[in-house]
Amino acid sequence: MIAIAFKSRRTRRTERVIFWLLRLATYFILACATYIFLDIGIKGSRTVFTSTPPFINLPFLTEPPQTLYVFDYDGKKMTLSDRQFREWKSAHAGVDVEATSVAYSAGGIWPCIVGTALLVIGSMALALGIGISSAIYLSEYSRNGRWIRLVRIAILNLAGVPSIVFGLFGFGLFVIFFGWNVSLIAGWFTLGLMVLPAIITASEESLRAVPQGLREGSLALGASKWQTIRKNVLPYALPGILTSSILGIARVAGETAPIMFTAAYAMKDEMPWQVAKFTDFFFQGVMALPYHIYVVSSKIPQNEYTERVQYGSAFVFLFLVMLIALTSIVLRERSRSRLSW
Amino acid sequence: MEGIADSRILIPPRTKSRRAQAVVEQGIKAFFGGNALVAVIVLALITIFLFREGFGFFGQNLSNLRLYRQAGLEYVDIIRGVASRHEALSRNLSEIRLSEVRAAQKRNAPLEEINAALAPFDRFASAFSDTADNLHGIVSDLTEQASELKEQLFARAELLAQRSQLERSGAATAAEKIVVPEIDRAAALTRLREGSANFESVSAEMTAKLYNLLAEAPPLPDPAGQKAFEQWKTRTREYLAGLPAASEKLRTWSPDAPIPWYRSISSFLFGREWVTASFWQDWYGIIPLLVGSILVSIVALFFAVPLGIASAIYVSEIASAHEKRLIKPYIEFISAIPSVVLGFFGIAVVGQAVRAASQSSLLKWISFFPISERLNIFTAGCLLGFMAVPTIFTLAEDALRNVPRGFKEASYALGANRLQTIGRVLVPASLSGIVSAVLLGLGRVIGETMVVLLCAGNRIAIPDFTQGLGAVFQPVHTMTGIIAQEMGEVVRGSTHYRALFMVGLVLFTITLAINYLAQKLVARYRMSIG
Repeated sequence: MIAIAFKSRRTRRTERVIFWLLRLATYFILACATYIFLDIGIKGSRTVFTSTPPFINLPFLTEPPQTLYVFDYDGKKMTLSDRQFREWKSAHAGVDVEATSVAYSAGGIWPCIVGTALLVIGSMALALGIGISSAIYLSEYSRNGRWIRLVRIAILNLAGVPSIVFGLFGFGLFVIFFGWNVSLIAGWFTLGLMVLPAIITASEESLRAVPQGLREGSLALGASKWQTIRKNVLPYALPGILTSSILGIARVAGETAPIMFTAAYAMKDEMPWQVAKFTDFFFQGVMALPYHIYVVSSKIPQNEYTERVQYGSAFVFLFLVMLIALTSIVLRERSRSRLSW
Repeated sequence: MEGIADSRILIPPRTKSRRAQAVVEQGIKAFFGGNALVAVIVLALITIFLFREGFGFFGQNLSNLRLYRQAGLEYVDIIRGVASRHEALSRNLSEIRLSEVRAAQKRNAPLEEINAALAPFDRFASAFSDTADNLHGIVSDLTEQASELKEQLFARAELLAQRSQLERSGAATAAEKIVVPEIDRAAALTRLREGSANFESVSAEMTAKLYNLLAEAPPLPDPAGQKAFEQWKTRTREYLAGLPAASEKLRTWSPDAPIPWYRSISSFLFGREWVTASFWQDWYGIIPLLVGSILVSIVALFFAVPLGIASAIYVSEIASAHEKRLIKPYIEFISAIPSVVLGFFGIAVVGQAVRAASQSSLLKWISFFPISERLNIFTAGCLLGFMAVPTIFTLAEDALRNVPRGFKEASYALGANRLQTIGRVLVPASLSGIVSAVLLGLGRVIGETMVVLLCAGNRIAIPDFTQGLGAVFQPVHTMTGIIAQEMGEVVRGSTHYRALFMVGLVLFTITLAINYLAQKLVARYRMSIG
């Protein structure tokens, strides 16, 4: 009896210890994530927010990046952006100062935000168009045959292909083979094709979740196949499709590798709409936020002058992507509880 | 009593004929089918395109390797190898000296005393490095000659290619105009051989000098240093014994010996050097990149697997419903953090922290601390591990949740407690699902680009494994990183361009294999339980 009691006490203690270890591991992950969010959030908000009204650093969000000039003048440390520095020089003609320049560290990130938005819109339009249509075909029209199984395997496997391989493919096919050069349209196709497998899989899943009875009822009433799909399948599948495609947006916006040599420029003076011809719009490279972060964190040194733009862009980017992802997660949780057949 | 229904409700007016409607239906079906086809074609195109661009590499690399032999670069590299082994030995001597100085400083000996004690050793070391002067002279002369010949041969091959292209396109007159200079390769190679004629005498002289030096090598004060010195002497004797073999190699070397086609493949798959845009010879060997990718992945999985599985078990079995509702979305939320932001965080925070930790006095007992590079395998691995946690967590949690209820209930009914049920029933039952979760996590880690590009240090070299675990704190380059870094700058169609596509192809194959394996495992698991 005593032995059993002793043994059970011991097992209970091991159980408790191991459960605590598991809990510790889980909370460790959460703590790491929280630390990252806080570090970037706090240091980044010093750039993005100000202590005076309107409390948001509008120049940072609405100006293009500029070179920062740092120099000593009159016993004071001056930090001026490219444009300010030229104005200052013309105002202080004859004064010779030795200024050290730090690239990208002044101004803001407006062209990068615009470029990322353009890339996301174009590639998502492409991916959603082809992706949802393909999913409708796969789930509603195709019969399960060898060919369709092959297609499914191909799609499933391509979902795991590294994004840099898509970038390589996009560079070889669109940029060089088609001769589109580094351009918006090459980026659209590369990114669109990259999320295509994910969109097809998710859309098909939502379409299949619509009960068979709805289709059969509609067909029994004499509706044609297309009428059935349009009136009785798509409306119920659409929330699911859109939710998963928002996650696709987060992925498209967050990827850097595929656009590095298909669509992104490190620096560009004109805004995307400042083009001579309408068609030039599609064949121009753009600045993109993720690529900008890559450039400012690897090509310029880490110091007090660069920290502003580094943390600022990382913060804005993280905030945007997290907002998109959060929308998707919240929508999914809500649709899970609401839609039950 | 209801009236007769409006006839319009029962039989809708037909505006279109049945036939026209069938055509429309067919058209819609064809539209969707066409879209699916586009998707498939595009996806197939990726594979085809990678192969198309990549496979041209082997032909170009083969001619690259042939040129290496024909221009006599290989010949010069035999002598260069002898000289650089001598340099390595010389470097070892200074390492021994450094450890001597450190040992003496531990005894608190003053600097002058240390220097005085090591003076005979210093004389020995400088005498040693002087013995190779003549050898280095030969190497630098020959290097110039050989690279000149290589350039001439290369230019000639280019002109020939231009001419044959013109001839093929029918412009015979234009083709005639291209003058292809004749190059007296035999004479140039003879000059090369003449230049190295005194290699044997030089090496004999060096051998004699070195044996004399070794005979009168000074003893070292520190026993550990003395031991290292003895080992060094053995290595030097081995080196000297190997010199005749080098002369023999020089004698039998022939510029016209054929290079078999498979050398092009083996030099890529097993090549230990990745050197590009060099004045001497480009090497495209994937091993340093592959080793880098694998090491980073190992470190990442070392962190991600325990954390991911532990949190999956915790959330699916132990956590309260309230905790579950919070933790699950939060961990899934992590997977949406853009990798470039994590990479930046690695540069700005993690790298510094790792280096600071290695310099702290608490960790002094670890032999390879403090580390010099803040961006290394470990830094990148930590961040990648963090990235892989959500993947492993989500899939492992799915697998655990899908274990039929009956399993758990049966276990409780037999008197097992929760821990025993988890350890002996739930985890074994979902093991294949968990393993496939780990595999998919590995797939994600190995294909990740931005974090390794920013945080792995980008030094193309195989880490020095003699340091044991310290190898993990050295910078490397990875397959994904090299593509991202070099693709933007290569000339289209060049060997380098194609080599990068080959690296992409290897990456593609590895991830496909991992995915395939994971899917196979899941399918089997469904069968065994379902």
